[in-house]
Order: sequence, then C-alpha cells, then structure tokens
Amino acid sequence: MLTLQRLIAELCAFWESEGCLIEQPYDNPVGAGTMHPATFLRVLGPEPWRCAYVQPSRRPADGRYGQNPFRLAKHLQLQVVLKPSPEDVQEVFLRSLERLGISAADHDIRFEEDNWESPTLGAWGVGWQVVMDGMEITQFTYFQQAGGIDLAPISAEITYGLERIAMFLNKVDSIYDVPWTESLTYGQVRRSEEEELSRYYFEVADVELAALLLDRWEGEAKRALAAGLVIPAYEATLACSHQFNVLDARGAVSATDRVGVIRRVRDLACACARAWVASRVAPAPAVALPEPAAAV
Amino acid sequence: MKRDDFLLEIRTEEIPAAALAGARGDLARGIAEALAEAGLAPAEVQSFATPRRLVVWAKEVPERQSDRDEEVLGPPAAVAFDAAGKPTKAAEGFARAQKSDVSALLVVDSPRGRTVAVRRTVPGRPAIDVLAEIVPRVAGALTFPKTMRWGSGERSFVRPVRGVLAMLGGRVVPLEVLGVRATNATVGHRVLSDGPLTVTGAADYFQKLRGAYVEPDGDARRTAILESARRLASQVGGRIDADADLASVLADLVEWPGLVRGAFDPQFLDLPEEITTTAMRVHQKFLPVRGTDRLLPHFVAVMDNAADRRGFIAKGNEWVLNARLADARFFFREDSKETLKSRLPELERLTFQDRLGSYAAKTARLAELAGSIAEAVGLREIAPEVRTAATLSKADLVTRMVREFTDLQGVMGGLYARAEGQPESVWKAIYDQYRPQSATDDPPRGETGAVLSLADRFDTLAGLFRAGLLPTGSRDPYGLRRAAAGVVAIAISRKWRLDWRPVARKALDLYPAELPGLAPEAALAELQTFFADRLRNHLERAGSSYDEVSAVVPAGTWDFADAAERASALTDARRRLDFRSLVLAFKRIRNILGAEPAGEASPGLYREDSERALAADFLQAKGLLEELVPERRYSEALETIASISPSLDRFFVEVLVNAPEDDVRRNRHALLSAIQREFTKIADFSEIVVEK
Repeated sequence: MLTLQRLIAELCAFWESEGCLIEQPYDNPVGAGTMHPATFLRVLGPEPWRCAYVQPSRRPADGRYGQNPFRLAKHLQLQVVLKPSPEDVQEVFLRSLERLGISAADHDIRFEEDNWESPTLGAWGVGWQVVMDGMEITQFTYFQQAGGIDLAPISAEITYGLERIAMFLNKVDSIYDVPWTESLTYGQVRRSEEEELSRYYFEVADVELAALLLDRWEGEAKRALAAGLVIPAYEATLACSHQFNVLDARGAVSATDRVGVIRRVRDLACACARAWVASRVAPAPAVALPEPAAAV
Repeated sequence: MKRDDFLLEIRTEEIPAAALAGARGDLARGIAEALAEAGLAPAEVQSFATPRRLVVWAKEVPERQSDRDEEVLGPPAAVAFDAAGKPTKAAEGFARAQKSDVSALLVVDSPRGRTVAVRRTVPGRPAIDVLAEIVPRVAGALTFPKTMRWGSGERSFVRPVRGVLAMLGGRVVPLEVLGVRATNATVGHRVLSDGPLTVTGAADYFQKLRGAYVEPDGDARRTAILESARRLASQVGGRIDADADLASVLADLVEWPGLVRGAFDPQFLDLPEEITTTAMRVHQKFLPVRGTDRLLPHFVAVMDNAADRRGFIAKGNEWVLNARLADARFFFREDSKETLKSRLPELERLTFQDRLGSYAAKTARLAELAGSIAEAVGLREIAPEVRTAATLSKADLVTRMVREFTDLQGVMGGLYARAEGQPESVWKAIYDQYRPQSATDDPPRGETGAVLSLADRFDTLAGLFRAGLLPTGSRDPYGLRRAAAGVVAIAISRKWRLDWRPVARKALDLYPAELPGLAPEAALAELQTFFADRLRNHLERAGSSYDEVSAVVPAGTWDFADAAERASALTDARRRLDFRSLVLAFKRIRNILGAEPAGEASPGLYREDSERALAADFLQAKGLLEELVPERRYSEALETIASISPSLDRFFVEVLVNAPEDDVRRNRHALLSAIQREFTKIADFSEIVVEK
C-alpha cells in the first residue's frame, strides 16, 4: 500500500533532492497549481527557479456530490516547476516514478501529445500527458507564454494528479477508497466536504453575490496595480477567476458573457505579469541546481 | 567517383504522432533536394521515424562536387578599354577584385551588351562540407502544425532536440542542428536499452538500433502490431477489426511495439457496441476483439515495451477500461431516464457558435431547412419524419454520454431514439447525421439521414460564412471544408440532381438579417467558389484528370450530381474518342472570339462550301443535343459533338474567319459563337490539355 500522504511525502522528498524549493499551497481558491504565484509569476523573467508544492485545486463545476468515482470539486495536484527546463527532464521525471516504486521496465509509459492553454491567464504551453498502462497520470508542459508574455527561458511544468496516481497504485475503483493513511480512506477524510461543496456550488451559492464579488475584485485588482502592488493585484485577479467559476457552476454565465468575463480576467492577469516583470528592480531570488559535477 | 552513404538522425523528445509523417517526409525531401541542387544527388533517399527520432539515409552521395566553369561579368567593354584597346582603370580594378590578371580578361556578349568578364574553374567542394551547411538549414526550415521552445528559449522545433548523429561513410559530419552538435553516437529505447551506441555507418546503425529495441521503420512497426494483434485475438477465438488508421497511430507512439491482451468485465457486453468500442478505440487506443457475431470481452493493447514481465501492464489497462466502461454504463442508464424531446429546452443553453446563438436556434433552423430539402429532392412524403429527426438531432449533445464521449455524437442520439421507439428512418437519420466524416467514410444509409446531414451541413456553412468565419489557408477550425465535401458526396451518391443554390440561399436567410459579417448575397458568392473547389476535389478523386475537371466546372457547379455525370462521361469519352482536333478547334474559337458579343448567323451570308457544311452539321448536331442533354445522355452527346470535328477542321483550313468584309466576318463569328455556346453545356473543351 502506498498511502496518499506517503505519496506526497515521497514526491516532495524526491524533488527536494533535485534542488527544488518546497513551496506551500496557495492560500486562496485556485483552479490549478499553475495559478500559484510560485508558477505563474516565477516562470516570468530570467532567474532560474525550481520548486515543488501540493496545490488543492478547486473546480466548482466538477463537483459530483461525492458520488462520482473520478470527479471532485477539489482535488490535489503536485506541481513542479523547473526553469530553465533541463535537458534530461523526462528522465528525471521517470526517476520520480521510480521513487514511488514504479519501475519503467515493468510498465508502459508513454508521452502523448497534449497541449495546455489557459485563456484566463493568457498562458499556453506545449507538451504531453504521461500515460502509464493506459491511465493519464501526469501533465507535462513546456510553458511558452504566461500573462501574454513570451517566455525565455522556458519552464517545464510537471503536474501529478495525486488522486489518480494513488487510485492506480492501490488499484481501487473509486477516489474515495484511496488510503489517505494506513487506517483512513480519502472518503472518510473528504467525502462530506465534497457533498457540501457540490450542494453549495450547484444549488446554494448566491449568484448575485458572486457577480458582485467578481466586479469588486476586478476593481480591487486595478486599484492594487495602480498602487504598484503586484502580488495583491494578482490575488484579486485569482479571486475574480474563482467567482467566475462559481457563477459558471450555477449555470449563470451565458455563452456571450463567458467570452467577456474570460477577457476581463485575462486582461488583469496580463497586467499583473507585465507589472511583475517591470517591478523586479532587484532580481528575484533564484533557485538553481549546483553546477553539475560532470557532464553526461 | 567514390560515393558514401550519408546518415542523419535527429533525436527529440516525443514528437506528436500527428506530426511525425510530415516531419519525416519534409526532412528527407529537403535534404534530397538540397543535395541535388548542390550537384550531389544521392542514388536513393530513405527516411524513417519513431516518436523520438527522425532518420534520413541518403545512399551513395558523391564524395565531392564536380568542378565547374564560372563566368564573372565586369564593366561594359566600352568602359574597360579605351579607343586604342588599352585596359582602363575600370578594367584593372575589376581584374584586381577578381584576383585575375588584366591580360586574362575576356569580352563576352551578355544581356548588358559587350561586357568584360573573367572565366575560371571553381573546384567542387567535398560532400562533407556541403552537408554541414545543408543539414542545419533544412532542419531549421522544417515547419510543423505547432512548434515550441525549450531551455533557454532561443530555438524552436516540434519538440526539444536532444541528440544528433550525422555521418558520411564512417566520418562524423561536423554540423549542429538546433544547437546540438552531431556525433557518431545514438541511444536505444529509453527503458529497454542502456547507454550510448557508437556506430560506424548506416548498416551498423540500423543493426545496433534494432538490437537496442528501436524499430526505426514505421511500416514495420505497424505490420508487427497488426500481426501480433491477430495472433493474440485468435488465441481467444476472435479477430481484430481491420483498423489501419489506429494501427498507424499506435505505430507512431512507440519505438518498440509490444502487444498485450487484456479482458474486461463481460457484463459490459450488454452496452451498445458503439459505446464499448469507442471507449476502447478512441479513449484507450485498444484494438477490440470480435467473435463470429459479437464483440468478445477482450482487447489488445500496444505498449512501448518488449514484454509485460510482471503483468502490470495488462492489469493496469484492464483496470482503466473497466473504470471507463463503468462510467459509460452509469451515463447510459442516467441518460435513458429522460427522452430526447424532454432535453430540448436544455439546448437553449448550449452554444452552437458565439455569434450564431444556441443549439435550440440551430434545431429550429434545421427542421425548416430539412423539410424544404426533402421537397427540393422530390421526397415530399418523407418531410414529416425528416422534421422529427431534425428536431431531435442535437438533443444528444446534452446527454452525459456525449459530454464524456464526444465522438459518439449522433450515434448516441440514434441509439436513444431507437430505444424510445422512434421509427427506423428517424433513428437511423439521427445516428448517421455526421456521415460522411471523411473522404473514405460512407454517406448516411437512408434518404432521411441524407437530407438531415445535408441540412446540418448547409446550416453550419451558411452560419459561419455569414459570420465571416471562412477557413483560411490550412486553418479550418470549424471543419467547413469537410462539411462542404460531405454535401457534394451525399448529393452525388444519391444522384439528387438539382441546383443547390436556392437551398444554400435559404440556409443563409434563416439566420437573422442583422447578423454582423457577410450579407447573404456576399456569403452565397463565397459559398459558390467554396463548393466548386470541393467539387473539383471530389471529381479528381473519382478518377477525372485535372483538365477534365476544369472543362466540366465552367458548365455549372451547383448541381453536383450533374457535374459528376458530365465529368465521368468526359473522362470515359476521352478513352474512346479522339478529342485532340476538337480541343484545338475550341481553343482556336476561344482565341478568335474574345469577349466580343456575336449576333445570329444568317445562311445568306455563307460564302464557302466548308462554311455551309459546318453550319449544316452544326444544326443537325444541335438538334440531337437538344434531345440528349436534357436527358443527361452525356456519352452520346459527347459523341455527337466529336462528330463535327472533321467539318470544323475543314472550315479552319479553307475559310479565313476574319474576312475583309464586315458582314461576312461577323457572320462567321456568329456561327462559331453559336457552336461554342451550344457545345460547351457539358464541358468547355478548350480547357483540356492536348499535345500540340
């Protein structure tokens, strides 16, 4: 048995040994680990950066009242960012699987084309989904653009779907049967939260409040930007994005509104990205690998 | 001259399967062309590709270029030499710049007149030096559907380049591709092989590669996949559906195809086969196994591994498929609790296209348009069922099953409609509405399905053209070319002969008049050319040559089935009849007449016998054609037209068309113009290419 918490601990330990800074989850609701400033802002600019962290990722429309064995309103991603992308990045990734007891020789591991795009972040990348024995376990992306800015150097982003991997390694048919610890299942820890989140997002959430908050957070992001405060402005942008997702789950976003709202959030994200690049008077602290001992 | 094999391998991270064949072909072609241009044409060029490498093998490249004579032009002779024939400063300067002696200067005739020149022999360069220039240029110029940058972000390619092997004979060619220096080493399979492989040349390379679990030849991988799959299927008493497309994709996803058979829970055999096979083929890229009359609870999966040593791979794939099928069964049961009709209100909230409103609006248009198409093709009696099918056709888009298994759109609607007791014509029409999906796919099985598919295609084309969202270059995000090609294919296969323009016009007018973009009139003009291009493609694929299609198209493109009959009659007639002199005569007529309008010919103004003979033959043929053409007896009509060829020839030999007398000349023009008008209703013969 490989428990969920053991899985997280092993992956973090592995990436720590690869010279990564271990970040903590972002403390506001985000739809994906990519939105964490440790990815979205750090992929900008020239400084080397290596970090890893777990990010609970909240997608209100994916809630299934705790009934669907695969879908969650809130799931866990383990996010790794490596800037610049190392030459042996695929091999390093395979070694991280070995750390989990997955030997590539005993499995079928393939990198199948899957590109990534986030219209709300003005970001896109090229890469693969990593498929192991028929199951998608990881998203692997070379970031090309973030906040509308062409990136150089390029970051590699590795996103492990933790519940998926845990299900697979433990051969259980439902997320809720994943062992979180030796004695507690994922269902025992999280099912009631999933039920409540689903009911809230689909039935209860105040649509008018969400619409109002979207507008107010948009104004707040602009105010913070005007005050030269990039991080607070970006936090307000993420709050807009979350309120948009809440509205969407309630079926309160018409098709035409959707395009407009996405553009509003993207404009903010792009403005934050530009402000971040401009505000780096002193270089951001870098996390880099020590010089390699010997070339391969 | 000594010749050596050139071998190039560009190693990358996994190239998308969809981009692999193009990249391989472009690289090989680019290198072959550049070598030929440099005077180093190889005896043969072969190319190979795996997801992790592009390989070009140019056999027997000459060791060096031949020496060649070169002439460098200088100043005009009049400037280079004075009146006494002595070299001037200009001549001396030129000679110096060319590192030549003034006494060696020549005077030659050039486009600029008499010009001073030096001639010299340029020694050929060694192939290895030329290759070192060619390869980086060709590799750098490759284009892909999507490129990316990596690392420092300075270079772009389809995926990061991780290694280059470039050898001419036994020597490494000193070059760099995308910043990576070439060596004489490669690597084998990522998992099954260890460490670098040093090679001594082409033969050694292929042998070592195969020894390191890499099969470079995609065709060999595909054949191996199909053969092993058949064997594994037969072991459980089944067979693999011929699925060359999927086998090709699988072959491009692995370097060393291994196969493994798995089983799924037999209880899922109760699901409609369409669902089970879609889960296998589309979602998991498995090959389903079929028994004599039904699916078996087995599948064959391809792995990039030599063996499933510990059984993990089969188990994992089984687990994933069972989970997917359990999901599908849940969707199917949930969906079956509601009828398609009860879902229609939900279509209000499903966007067809941002500017074109919801699927509810589309459904309303479809019912109207499909009804009028049924009448237009003379099937008034099926109009009610066509409208029912149209009304229900998009309801499956809001079912759980189609949201998860998007490939099953239409198919699921058809299955649900059948379960609800809709008549066969209706459920099959819904089932088949997206057919044909490609040039090789069958059109809908029944008339109702054909009408519905046409209505859907016309509606989509009309809407996106009105919105100004026409395909550009290689970009066709809404699949409009395929949609129009489907219209042409359906009309032709059904032999529904009619002018489709009013249908297109109606489809355009069903959208709101105030829609921003193109007005219906302008959109119709765009659609006309768009359909003409699809028609051309269709006719060429059906076996007509390019010039035959060009001849048929000017005689009308909106009746696709009629154009197809004319093309097929013409293609056939050219095998039987001698068109050469007829074609030359029509080219001549076209040149003589120009754009000048001609009146009616009057018999009183004929002067020559051959003129009267032509007029008489023409009138007789015209009478026959008036009978044959409306009945679409195109083969006989073409024979009739061909039969006046001798009198046309005689006419052109004996008669001066542009006679000095105005009335005679005008009369002759009028006769030729009438012939041109009457005889090009099937095809414009002047478009046909013949040897002079």
